[in-house]
Amino acid sequence: MSTEAITPVFVRLKLSLLRNGLRQSGGRKAAYITSAVFALLFAALQLIGLIALRGHAHAESVVVLAVAVLGLGWAVMPLFFPSGDETLDPTRLVMLPLRPRPLVRALLTASLVGIGPLFTLCLLVGSVIAVARGGAAFVVGGVAVALALLVCVALARAVAAANVRLLTSRKGRDLAVLSGLVIAVGAQIVNFGAQRLGQSGLGELDPPAHVLQWVPPASAVGAVHAVSEGSYGLAAAQLALTAGALVALLALWSRHLTRLMTSPDGSTLPSAEAAAKERASTGLARLLPAGRTGTVMERSLRYVWRDPKTKTAWVTSLAIGLIVPVFNAWQGTGSVYFACFAAGMLGIQMYNQFGQDTSAFWMVAMTISSSRDAYVELRARAYALLLITLPYATLVTVLTTAMLGDWRRLPEALGLSFALLGAMLATGAWTSARFPYSIPQEGYKNVAPGQTGLAWISIFGGMMSAALLCAPVIALTIWLNVSADGDDWAWLLLPVGTAYGAALTAAGLKLAAPRTARRLPEILAAVSKG
Amino acid sequence: MGVSAVRVRGLWKRFGQQVAVAGVDLELPAGKFIGLVGPNGAGKTTTLSMVTGLLRPDHGTVEVVGHDVWRDPVEVKALIGVLPEGLRLFERLSGRELLAYNGRLRGLPGAEVDKRATQLLDVLDLAGAQHKLVVDYSTGMRKKIGLATALLHNPEVLFLDEPFEGVDPVSAQTIRGVLERYTASGATVVFSSHVMELVESLCDWVAVMAAGRIRATGTLAEVRGDAPSLQRAFLELVGAQSRDAGSDLDWLGGGAR
Repeated sequence: MSTEAITPVFVRLKLSLLRNGLRQSGGRKAAYITSAVFALLFAALQLIGLIALRGHAHAESVVVLAVAVLGLGWAVMPLFFPSGDETLDPTRLVMLPLRPRPLVRALLTASLVGIGPLFTLCLLVGSVIAVARGGAAFVVGGVAVALALLVCVALARAVAAANVRLLTSRKGRDLAVLSGLVIAVGAQIVNFGAQRLGQSGLGELDPPAHVLQWVPPASAVGAVHAVSEGSYGLAAAQLALTAGALVALLALWSRHLTRLMTSPDGSTLPSAEAAAKERASTGLARLLPAGRTGTVMERSLRYVWRDPKTKTAWVTSLAIGLIVPVFNAWQGTGSVYFACFAAGMLGIQMYNQFGQDTSAFWMVAMTISSSRDAYVELRARAYALLLITLPYATLVTVLTTAMLGDWRRLPEALGLSFALLGAMLATGAWTSARFPYSIPQEGYKNVAPGQTGLAWISIFGGMMSAALLCAPVIALTIWLNVSADGDDWAWLLLPVGTAYGAALTAAGLKLAAPRTARRLPEILAAVSKG
Repeated sequence: MGVSAVRVRGLWKRFGQQVAVAGVDLELPAGKFIGLVGPNGAGKTTTLSMVTGLLRPDHGTVEVVGHDVWRDPVEVKALIGVLPEGLRLFERLSGRELLAYNGRLRGLPGAEVDKRATQLLDVLDLAGAQHKLVVDYSTGMRKKIGLATALLHNPEVLFLDEPFEGVDPVSAQTIRGVLERYTASGATVVFSSHVMELVESLCDWVAVMAAGRIRATGTLAEVRGDAPSLQRAFLELVGAQSRDAGSDLDWLGGGAR
């Protein structure tokens, strides 16, 4: 293959892949078009917004920050979406006789084709329009847009090439499952950040922007602003910095690419050092009770940490269980009773216990031969959950109470939390036996196709029942709060709620156990789908 | 002859429109190395799942060493070891943790489990990978750790679904050695396969299955009959014609490219 010809080949390949996105089945085609239209619409809105910002006192801080965030996005994207761009996967090209320099040129050019780069281009052009004043600034702006775009694309490729060994390994795929969580938490942070900006104005952005204007690719936009202000020396330095970063990234990328294409695939190399690292301590085992109880607890707790799906579910529950009551208390809109949210969110982890095992449930099924075995199995899973949940729910309740300064209500909030937790464990155990469903191990889905109805019955039916089961404790709380000398007896709600929750859990486990023991093949079939 | 290892009567299983197992009657002698052979889709996995209590049959009864699988699970589950095909293991445990977990679930004392696990890991050549997560194991290593979990509680009857599928020759030889030693002590191994040469070299008793039914049972010699090999006997039993591929693909190999 002649080296001059490969750039157009890669660009054509990229264009046909984009076109082929339209050739998929109905649903996927619609999703593809919708996401493309939304991305472009969002880009256009941003462009208009940035143009509207022109002349604003803090415009340069906004654009510098926006471009910096954009650069960060390009840097982390390949880590979370490793299969995002097939044309750029160098491992597919190993068999072709290609030289590094033309290959980098061709891949870089092909990377510039697509919705992502177009989106970036819109944002960069908008940024330049927002801060450029005078002809010289616009000329520099043109250079800055080109440089910043190339830096973004090269950054993504360099990060991907440097981490390809991680990304093609099992650990990399585990990481991808966690990415949804990172995006969700990131969105929350952006949300809170935006709220604070709305309260105190764009001036808050100035200090970080002063630093970021020296970090490529934001430094390119900084240069445009510097020219508008007449500081040509500053602008030259910032542009040089951006260009230097581009050259460095391309060199880094080229080096990793050469090594990737000339050395054996990482996935087939034995990873001796990884094996040594994964040796877990056995300290935990010694503290747990002997027999099935301790064995099951240990396995459940290990899975919270090691299984990406279980881990994601736990981290989500822990985060939301904390964020909702504490942030509401912090903003002064909360109530102590919001602390029950923690118990409720964590109680959800008891749902679909056997689905969390996937088809490995057969190993459990082979060792359950009586209702007693099933009872001990379910009880141990509840214990493992309580080991994390009890201290956590207590902590969240105390923290919420402390922020609100409403110490008088601490016992009843705790009592309600524990009663709710008990009800969730009881309904969770029962629905685990009655409405099990598969959790696909690959991808983002948490329900196998065709079992969505089952999952809804299981979770929402269970949560409604849990709330109903808690009704006596809720009624008692209300009664003590409205009756004349109820406050003197409010402390009673802590022991009553705790005992009630414990009784509910015991009853739920007792009811679920015989059903589990009877339905082992049916449960196995349900959790092995997909 | 004493009690059969496995006795199956009128076993049926239907998935929607498709009949997977259509009335299987089977009596497997104890103390033998038994091969359940048949083409893909013959119903081998479905039959083994029902025999081991992992799948509920539509009709029929299964007895293992005289105990009904569905009415007497306490006895049966202690007596059998299983290596299913297409089901996962708890892959986020290391090989050693998986054995420790499984042995303790089966009610064996902790020290005994650890002793047996060490020996099994050694014999199956997994000692070097014992602290690696099972999710990072190769196919052969998975089959071997699965076999170790099936053997850990010293069962009387061992059911293995395609234990050699996707296994390299070295691991296959290791698995073979362990199984031969195990049957020599009087235990029964029932394994399914579609590789006739393997069954011929390993088994002393064979059941041939096709389209959800048993076509032939007996010792290797009985099933083979006059045919030169088990492969030929099998092809005749399931009624597969050897197609003449002479005129098609005449461009393949040699001559002009």
